Amino acid sequence: MTIQLIRDISDSSSYWGASWVFGCFPDLHIVCDAPIGCYNLLGMAVTDYTDALPHMANLTPTSIREQDVINGTAQALVRTIDDLRSIGSLAGKRLLVISTAESEMISADHGSLVAQLDPEARFFWSQSLEQDEWTGRDRALLFAWEAYGQPFVTPGAPPRAANLVNIIGPSLGCFNAPADLHELRRLITGIGGEVNLVYPYEGSVASTPRLADAAVNVVMYREFGAPLAEALGRPYCFAPFGVFGTTAFLQELGRLIGADPARVAAFIAHEKRTTLQPVWDLWRGPQSDWFATVDCAIVAGRSYVVGLSQFLGEELGMKIAWSSGRPRRDDEPDNIEIRRRIHTKAPAFVFGSINEKIYLAEANARATHYIPATFPGPVVRRTTGTPFMGYAGAANVMQELVNRFYEMVFNFLPVEPIKAPGGPPQHVAAGPPAQSSAETMAWTQAATERLNAALEQVPFLARISASRALRLAAEQAARARGAREVTVELVEAAIAHDSS
Amino acid sequence: MAEIIPLTPGGASDPSEPFKESACKLHPQTMCPAFGALRVLARLEGAQPAMITDTGCLYGLTFVTHFYAARKSIVAPALGTAELSSGKVQEAATAAIAEAASEPNVSVIPVISLCVAETAGLAEELLPSSIDGKPVVLVRVPAYAIHSHPEAKDIALAAVLRRFVDRERAHEPGALVLVGEVFPADPLIIDGVLRKMGGRVLTTLPGRHVDELRLAGCGAAVAALHPFYRETVGVLRERGVGVVAGAPIGADGSAAWLRAVGTALELDEAVVEQVAAEEEAAARGFLASQPLKGATIMVSGYEGNEMLYARLLVEGGAHVPYVSTSIGQSMLTAADEAWLKAHGTEAVVYRKAIEDDKAAMARWRFDLVIGTTTLAAYAKELGIPSVYYTNILSVRPLFLAGGMIASLSFVRELMNRRPLYERMVAFFADADPGGTP
Repeated sequence: MTIQLIRDISDSSSYWGASWVFGCFPDLHIVCDAPIGCYNLLGMAVTDYTDALPHMANLTPTSIREQDVINGTAQALVRTIDDLRSIGSLAGKRLLVISTAESEMISADHGSLVAQLDPEARFFWSQSLEQDEWTGRDRALLFAWEAYGQPFVTPGAPPRAANLVNIIGPSLGCFNAPADLHELRRLITGIGGEVNLVYPYEGSVASTPRLADAAVNVVMYREFGAPLAEALGRPYCFAPFGVFGTTAFLQELGRLIGADPARVAAFIAHEKRTTLQPVWDLWRGPQSDWFATVDCAIVAGRSYVVGLSQFLGEELGMKIAWSSGRPRRDDEPDNIEIRRRIHTKAPAFVFGSINEKIYLAEANARATHYIPATFPGPVVRRTTGTPFMGYAGAANVMQELVNRFYEMVFNFLPVEPIKAPGGPPQHVAAGPPAQSSAETMAWTQAATERLNAALEQVPFLARISASRALRLAAEQAARARGAREVTVELVEAAIAHDSS
Repeated sequence: MAEIIPLTPGGASDPSEPFKESACKLHPQTMCPAFGALRVLARLEGAQPAMITDTGCLYGLTFVTHFYAARKSIVAPALGTAELSSGKVQEAATAAIAEAASEPNVSVIPVISLCVAETAGLAEELLPSSIDGKPVVLVRVPAYAIHSHPEAKDIALAAVLRRFVDRERAHEPGALVLVGEVFPADPLIIDGVLRKMGGRVLTTLPGRHVDELRLAGCGAAVAALHPFYRETVGVLRERGVGVVAGAPIGADGSAAWLRAVGTALELDEAVVEQVAAEEEAAARGFLASQPLKGATIMVSGYEGNEMLYARLLVEGGAHVPYVSTSIGQSMLTAADEAWLKAHGTEAVVYRKAIEDDKAAMARWRFDLVIGTTTLAAYAKELGIPSVYYTNILSVRPLFLAGGMIASLSFVRELMNRRPLYERMVAFFADADPGGTP
């Protein structure tokens, strides 16, 4: 067996994924059979940065201690449940006990103990030692349906109405879910659909049987959620991206819910005049010209990778240098390879997590713009105004790219820093800009070639200013040495100094 | 300074019964203990950490390390049932160490062994002690055995200190080593005062450089500014470095600490006495206005230095009936606890859970809550001005007269914000309880 190495892990374990699903239900209380760290990181620290929740209110640890590792966690579990009961935390709530990597490590399987303590309670063996968060989310969704939904549904009952649509997927720890959900809801209702249940985000144990009421399911993410849609046995489609992708989605969904095609067409026409108008205007304007000249890389959940590649690559004609979806396929770069690629040549735009942001910082890739597109990484995405999906997502992403471009232009324009006497200290000491000379200096051919090769590594938009900066630095060094021409050594020194 | 508005005189407390910790300690309040170790180790320049653990743990710890400790890539082996059950944990650790060593500019590889690796039994003697001349330092921090994030900082610091401390060089007379993650200006201020007494600050741990660890052994004394660096202080004590407990906090604390440091460093008594008296006079001058008089304040963090902060507030005139922390009780906490209990604090809770803090909230009426994120959120839900302990502590000086003035002035400003908190809670009180509109 060869040992696989991980750098800056991107996907969490199934304990996390399942808890992020179950944690959405206000009428469920989760006891995680975990040391305090597994509780703290999920329930207090990280969820505060992914979902901007001060803490998960319905999660309690057994707080595994040394003696529990030796003797088993049953005693700690019984004590935890008793305490929760005594302070009233379980009143009106179902109890779910979930295993973690550490409890699995010591084979603490509490299936029968939990049933004995409370016949309504359930035990979820999370298989955290081998399954990732996506599998965990999928298994939790299926578990919830099988435990809290399916048994209460009349087999073979038809949908309650033909236009009822479930949205499956949005849950805790899903990047940008509120904005994408808002857009999806707008699209569905725009063509005459009615949103039945947003599951698990707006669901509960009690509402789970209502999943069967819908005629169609929209699965928000390709990385998880489809198995529940399969189990529900109704037609389903994935949430759309881009101008043309969203249009195709609306037509398909319209057919599935039996909407009047004229109504669908009218909605799309109205959208072109409203939500999509900025896309048309930016496309007609000079801003769209440089889409053909810049490249980007995408590291994100499978949905974002597929959707952004389609919108930016196929619809706007941007070059997708490379991408890596989550869960990662074998033919996609892992973080070790992503890091190497970013260090070697960073694209103009990188959609990604804090990992990619760190690799860009390590490489001092100042000409690259990082755009948050996935977790891990602390970023608040709780408003409805930042969608990536749907028509509004197309307009928002395009607007964001153009604004980053403006930012880049601004940052590369010459500036003469002014430090007010007694003003606050500057975070980074700004050295004096390289002095240019009125006189043109000679360059050896090798020096020119080296300069051009170096600029090849710089994203297109930043090349003008990068070339000016390198040229000035090399010429200044030449003058300082009293040389009459710029040699390849001086260019090397200027490059080394710039990247330090 | 603006007038403080509405305060609860003295805090309404029923004096008949002493405060009892909650019988249920369901939600312990601490960052994952292991994070304390990662924070200390990831911040060392040239250190490339290798984490030996499962993927869920790795995700959470990497997340907080990248946010709070260092923008540093972290290496780990993939450890699943297959590897853990077939005894491959050793091989996995060795592979991660090799990958870490292959990084440019790496000078030390801390190996952080966490719950599942510890349960599987990672053996130190089977790990290399160095690779390509780069030292490998094993740090064992299973959350099930350590219990709090500050105490893991101590374990990590002690581990690297043991490895790097210079055992040969002579002690430098008058040189003091500070131990504790403090505001960057604090060591400079302390150094300024020590120099007036004929001493100086040699270095502050935990720091950013291995050189600081080497140098620490050359101190004439070490001051554990935070009361959980038991192992770290032990390493230096073995090396013959004298230990000063406590910190230069407030008027009482600063003067006493300066005298203790003077004794430990064998400085001229008369000069020490004069400097200590000057510091005390400066502090008392500010305290004369009793800026927090009439306020009842709760201090409940998980950083392990909560009692220091509580002492400041008490000297500023506040009533601090309840202080809680994540760390355990020890010799290093004794003096602060005794001081607080002698100055109106009724309960000091170690290894606290949110249930303890909520019991305190029910017992006293607080004008300000300085708490963990969970507690601060709870207080805000009640319309009580509250802030996250770690945020307010880490961004301004704390020690000696200058630190005291900065900290107390800030707390006083917070007290004036009560109407904002009340207005916000009143607005959100009738929010739709849930469901689709």
